[in-house]
This record gives sequence, structure tokens and C-alpha cells, in this order.
Amino acid sequence: MSKFITLSNVSKIFNPGTPLEVDALQDIDLVLDRGEFVVLSGPSGSGKTTLLNLMGGLDRASGGTIRIDGKEITALHEDALCDERRDNIGFIFQAYNLIPVFSAKENIEYVMKLQGRDQPSCDRRVTEVAKKLGIEKLLHKLPSNLSGGQQQRVAVARAVASKPKLILADEPTANLDSVSAGELMDMMEKLNREENITIIFSSHDPMVIGKAKRSVVLKDGKVIKNETVS
Amino acid sequence: MRPYLRLGVRNITQSKGRTAVTLLLSAFSTAVLIFSTAFMDGQHRVMLKNAVETYPGYIQITHENFRDNPGYENLIENSDTLVQRLQNDPRIGSISQRFETYVLLSTKEHSVGAMIAGIQPQKEQTNSILAKSLHRGKYLQKGDGNAIYLGSELAKNLQVKVGDTLAYIGNGVDYSFCADNVVVKGIFQTGLFQFDASSAFVSKEYFDHMFVSDNLATHIVIYPADIDTANELAQKIKPQLPPALHVQSWKEFMHTLVQAMELDSIFGYITLAIFFIVIFFVILIYTLLNIFARTREIGVLRAIGTGKKQIMGMLLFESTVLSFAGVLAGGAIGAALAYYFNLNPIELGAEFEKQFKQYGLVSSALPTTFEPLTILRDMGIMFVLCMASTLYPIVKINAMNPVEAMHHV
Repeated sequence: MSKFITLSNVSKIFNPGTPLEVDALQDIDLVLDRGEFVVLSGPSGSGKTTLLNLMGGLDRASGGTIRIDGKEITALHEDALCDERRDNIGFIFQAYNLIPVFSAKENIEYVMKLQGRDQPSCDRRVTEVAKKLGIEKLLHKLPSNLSGGQQQRVAVARAVASKPKLILADEPTANLDSVSAGELMDMMEKLNREENITIIFSSHDPMVIGKAKRSVVLKDGKVIKNETVS
Repeated sequence: MRPYLRLGVRNITQSKGRTAVTLLLSAFSTAVLIFSTAFMDGQHRVMLKNAVETYPGYIQITHENFRDNPGYENLIENSDTLVQRLQNDPRIGSISQRFETYVLLSTKEHSVGAMIAGIQPQKEQTNSILAKSLHRGKYLQKGDGNAIYLGSELAKNLQVKVGDTLAYIGNGVDYSFCADNVVVKGIFQTGLFQFDASSAFVSKEYFDHMFVSDNLATHIVIYPADIDTANELAQKIKPQLPPALHVQSWKEFMHTLVQAMELDSIFGYITLAIFFIVIFFVILIYTLLNIFARTREIGVLRAIGTGKKQIMGMLLFESTVLSFAGVLAGGAIGAALAYYFNLNPIELGAEFEKQFKQYGLVSSALPTTFEPLTILRDMGIMFVLCMASTLYPIVKINAMNPVEAMHHV
């Protein structure tokens, strides 16, 4: 195992200098290894989503540095950060956030197309990922014709298809029933194992939290526990 | 095709309601703009035709001093030869000579000073609307002797009708005394009060015989083959004339009309500018609402690696396709309307025609112009307007970071 993600002194202040100023994250130091399956947990407002957004380069830290695979993403310019997200980071959102006018297959291959991969290569990868996630028969359907669980599987497929080094999932099971949530976590665990992708997800759900191999607990914007789960 | 452009195509084809409203908005605006411009230009052309063709004509040749001193010492000499030479020019549609002077017209009870002009009746049928303005009786013919064609107000002042006889007294070119009795052959009404109250016409053959004006004229009037080229034609004719003669197009000798038309154009363009502003903001607001409704979707696209330039490319692509299609459809509708009403002018009816005549307008018909270049110009303006109105929302939404965009409500 090698240091894959390093957060040093990371802080995030919303609305600085205004009466609405909020210290969402304070002096976060965190080191995660490649291929880890990590859960961020903690009460609402503890900073889980903010931390995921900062690690994914979706938002800028107010202070500190974040390194992913040796690259300091906090120092990257907007365009370079966008390339980093496209090439190395996959996202899974609580509300699935599929592109409504694209079919499941087009959603899955979208990031690969952005990367410039040709159609046969995209087709092969979509078939491979769809098979692993059990969504081969859903590929031609629009998101509006899929159930919540099916949409989240497509969202997972979209996140992993481009072979990112890191997947960030913000409460991926929050909108799913317990059976679907369990299945989704099993799939993510399988992908983590088989494709050696580092996966970090946030959750409140003890069943989901129990699937992780490392647990990071946040409270009031601070890491209060960081432990490997046996 | 690049994936974000493909997404743009899909947004257009699958968001049918949004696409339909955008297309309708730009098509309607374009059609209205094209029709308004064609209608405004059409009214200018009517105004021009009414003013110019009532009598003055599009191009006039006179002695260089005639306008300042319209006396017999400033006449066009050898006018027949000059007309024969010029009428072979294919750019000239029609050319005629006139000799204008002032006489006293009298009946037993009334006398009125008026302009009397010797005209070439057949050629004047093209050069002016004198023949078309016939109100009573008949228009003049070549070879008519002592027959006179009177303005309606002048006939009213003299209290004569068709068939009545009246006398005139004036001076011949040789300053001899000149008088005769003439029979009222016809009465015209152009609607221009002053003209109808002070003008009378006889055939030039008769006039030349009485006023000793053979081969002389005060005016040579030219009707160009293409009336839009009157100014250029006047400039081209100039070198062919003897040095003592002067040629002017209607834009020069009717400069007050030109000013009136320019003023009217300014008001017309102000109206159109207000229309532009309204349309601009309607499209801007609609685009703003549309694009902001997609803020979350755009945030997600940014989050998964679509660059700002690519998002801008996608939105501009959608906007370009919809604007182009809308403007094209609106252009076709506007052009069709302009073409139809060019051939079939809007008729306001007989009641309006009476009122129009009081203001010097010959007809109550309101035609549009049909000029492909003007239509293309208007389509271009609308396209630029549609595109410009989408820029602000696109720039605004692209300025958000992905998290802001995804949490936008």
C-alpha cells in the first residue's frame, strides 16, 4: 500500500467575512492508501459532503493542501482540475444525476468519450462494466424509465467505466431501499477489489458503514476517528 | 461527433416543448421584423411614387438658371433634338417635354391665375399620374387642339365643368400677346390641393402653336427604366447635355420630401429599435430561465469532467441551431408575407381612399416591398440578436463552480 490521498491542514469556510460564515472543515489531516474502501460518517453538517467535494476538486479549500496520487489538486487551475476529474476521479451522487436525454449506455460511455476513446473501445468497456453490475438489459433505456436502484447502478457504471483511480460517492444509498442499498454496496466492494479503485463514500446508514474497510468519522468539521475496520 | 455536441443535439430533439417555444419565439420575431421593414419600406415607396409621379417626375432637365429665374430667357433650346438623342438610352424608360407658363383663366364671371403647361399626353401617361387622376371627362390626346385638362379645385374656382368653354390670356415666348378659348376636356384630381387648384394642361402641339414655343421646353422629364437608379442615371446623363442645361434627380429637387422620408425612417427605425429591445429581453429572459433550469444538470456535467469551454460549446451549439432554424423559418414566413402583400397590397377601402386623397395620396392600397437583400439583412440582425441574448445566461452559468451549480435551485 502507498499513500494515495494526503490532506494536510485542510479547512473550508463558507461565506467568509459575513454574518453567515461557517467553518465547515477545520485542520483536516488525513492519509489514505491506494485501493482503500473508505466510509466517511458523522452527523448531518459534520462536513462529509464538503470533504468529498474538496477531494474531488469540485470545490476549493480555504486552506491547506490536498494531494491525490502525488498531484497537488489544490494548486491546479480550473481547466487542469476539470481534466483531473475527467481522467482520474469518478463521482456517484445521492440523486444519481444521470443525463436525462441520454440512454444508460450513453451515460456510461460519456466520460470515456470526453477522454477521447473510440466507439469500439467504449462499447467493450460498457459491456464489461454493465455485466459486472447486472445492467446489460437496461443499456438502451432512458433514466426516466429506470427505477432508483437501476439508476444508481448506471451511475456507478458511469463512474467506474473510465477506469478512474478514485471514486467518490456522496450518500450513494440514501435514496435506495435496504435491499438495493446492500446490493449496491456489494457491487462497489467488488469493483474496489477487482479493479483496485480507491473508493470513498459517505453515509449515515450503519449497514452501509459496516461494509467499509476504513472508517473516518467527522464531527463539527473535524476528524474524530480514523480507523481500519477488520 | 464530440459527446457534448451530441448532448446538445439530444437536448434539442428530446426537450420538445423548450425547442418549440424557442423556435416559435425567434421565428415569430423574425417574421414580424421582416414584415414591419417591408411594410415601412413599402409606405416610403408609395409616398415617393405619390409625390414624384403626381407630376414632378424622377429626373428633370432644365436650363441651369431656370429654377432661380423661371423666365423665357432660361429655356431648353432644341429640346426635340435633345429628347431624340436621349430616348435611345436603354436606362431611360420614358422621356417627355413640358413647357410651363402662367396665364389668366377666365369665364364670364370668374378669373383665376394658374399654371398652364403644354405636355405630350401619351408620354405623360408614364411620367406622371395625370392620366390616372382623371376625375371627369377625358384625358388629353396627341393632336388635341384647344382642349384643356383642369385640376378639380381650379375647375371648382372657375365654376366650369366638362364641355364648358373658358378663355386664357398670357404671353408667348416672343412676348407677344397670347389668348384663346379652350373647351374643358377633362378634370383631374390628384389629391394635392395646391396642384389641383392651380394647374391646367393642354397638348404641347397646340401650346407651341399658341405660345411660339416650338422646339423649346422649360422641362424635360425622365422616367428611368429602374426608378431606384434615378440618382445614378441623372449623373450619367449630365455629360451628354449642353453646358447651359442642368439635370437633377427627385432627391435633389424634392429635398424636402427626402427630409420628410428620412424623418419618417428615423421614427420607423426607433419603433423597430424598441421592438428589437423588447424581443431581445424576451429571448434573454426565456433563455435565462431555460438555462438556469438546467443549472444542476450543467453542474453534474462539470463535475464528471466536462470543461467550461465544452459546456459553452454545447450551449452555443444549441443556441445556434435553434436561432438559425427559428430565423430561417421566420425569414421564410416574413418573406412570404412581404411577397404576398407586395403583389396584393392591403386595401383599406373606398372610405379611406377619400381621406387619403385629401393628404395627397393617390391610393389607399398599402403595399410591402419584397427585397431579398433587406430580408437577408433582417434575418442576420435577428440571428445576431438571438445569439447575443443567450450569451449572458451562458457566461453566468459557466461562472459557477460545479458544487454551486449542482446545489442551484
